[in-house]
Amino acid sequence: MDKPIPDLITVEAARDTHRWVAMTALLLAIGVILHTISPNVGGVTPNWTIAMYSITISLTKPGPTRALGIGFVAGLTLIPSSKSAFPLGNIASELSGALTACLLVKAFALAHLEGLKVKPFIIGFLATSVSGSVFTYILKLVLGLPLTVWTHAMLPVVLTVGVLNGVVTQVLYGPVRKIFFATEGKRHE
Amino acid sequence: MSDTAIRITDFYFAYLNSDLVLKDINLEIQKGSFTAIAGPSGAGKTTLCKAMTGIVPHYYGGRYHGSVEVLGEDIRGRKISEIAMRVGIMMDDYESQMVSLTAGEEIAFGLLNHGFSPEEVDKRVSQALADVGLPGRENYQLDELSGGQRQRLLLASVLACRPEVLILDEPVSALDPDGARSLYALLYKIYQQHRMTVVVEHDLNYLLPYMTDLVLISGGEARVQGRFEAAARAAFAQEDLRENLPELWLVKLGLEEKYQVRLGSWRTEEEAEKELLQKFQGGGKA
Repeated sequence: MDKPIPDLITVEAARDTHRWVAMTALLLAIGVILHTISPNVGGVTPNWTIAMYSITISLTKPGPTRALGIGFVAGLTLIPSSKSAFPLGNIASELSGALTACLLVKAFALAHLEGLKVKPFIIGFLATSVSGSVFTYILKLVLGLPLTVWTHAMLPVVLTVGVLNGVVTQVLYGPVRKIFFATEGKRHE
Repeated sequence: MSDTAIRITDFYFAYLNSDLVLKDINLEIQKGSFTAIAGPSGAGKTTLCKAMTGIVPHYYGGRYHGSVEVLGEDIRGRKISEIAMRVGIMMDDYESQMVSLTAGEEIAFGLLNHGFSPEEVDKRVSQALADVGLPGRENYQLDELSGGQRQRLLLASVLACRPEVLILDEPVSALDPDGARSLYALLYKIYQQHRMTVVVEHDLNYLLPYMTDLVLISGGEARVQGRFEAAARAAFAQEDLRENLPELWLVKLGLEEKYQVRLGSWRTEEEAEKELLQKFQGGGKA
């Protein structure tokens, strides 16, 4: 007769404590390089840095504090190459963008929509839109521009870049996921 | 002092989303042994290896019961990186364990992460490469090495940590028969330098000349275990386990059963041929 199976103790899988750092650093570095060398076509160019942290936040699912850290570092990386009148605005804008991406990831999880195919596009688009809106609003304040310039000239450009970034995020999400999560501990007997 | 290096007691294990993979495992692996773990595909051999190093259940997570003691210490609550310095493991998917660009860096990686001095690292890297038959290859790019050489390199990076126990999971799965025999001959030389060795291998023909102990796993249970000869006889007595035995021993035990003789403990075809000629052709009395 088979022995009865005793009560089993459940152990959670070890959490990845360092991979998110390596992944974020690598993707932000790629973002900075692409940001520096990308040509400006018709006044519009994708913001690679935002696309990269949108991907890393989608994949590593950090909490708000960690996401703010990612946003802060992303903002710092953009300052040296910024051609804007107020480069420090990048810090505030990337903090907002990263936090937006983080909250969206949490919202998708709560709504059980993690498998939604267009999730990377939505996160890339909204993170860029929020980040761009914050950045251009700071610029409006610094330069003392009228509100209509912000709403009628700046925001349409922000939304256009948002769409472009959504596409970039969507296209790169799959390959990056494959590279960083190739096995996910699934190879076992 | 106990002669048991690895003791697994009443061990059950299931991955988080699976049925039981290991059931009621009670196993003792002796110090100084060269133990082969065999069994059909999906029997739980790889999981058993991982349990010996704490990877199961502490890294993958899962549900378990029982205890695993390695070198006299219960591995519950121990860090996998600490255990790795005493118990080296080489996984079947060896490419996934490689992280560096050159052979020297690959071996140095684990040592540097454990805080060894650069001088000690250099010394151990050279020694480990020499031990696996790749002397002076420190600056070779990984893609300059053949599959077999990369496998030896990974073995070198495990050996560089000088573990007391070496565990290898299907180390020749990607090699041709000549490469497989060559790797096992090398492994036996390393074993003879007083390193206890555990090998998971579904084809026991390769290990016949070397193994001292045998464990046969089937359906997640350790069905047979012990010194090779006794374990092989026990396996031969159970119809469903016979196919796991080396071909030479299937012949030997078959002959013993049929002719009611007792043959020697063959480890090579030459030994078998010599004894058979003596007993059955050379006028020897069976």
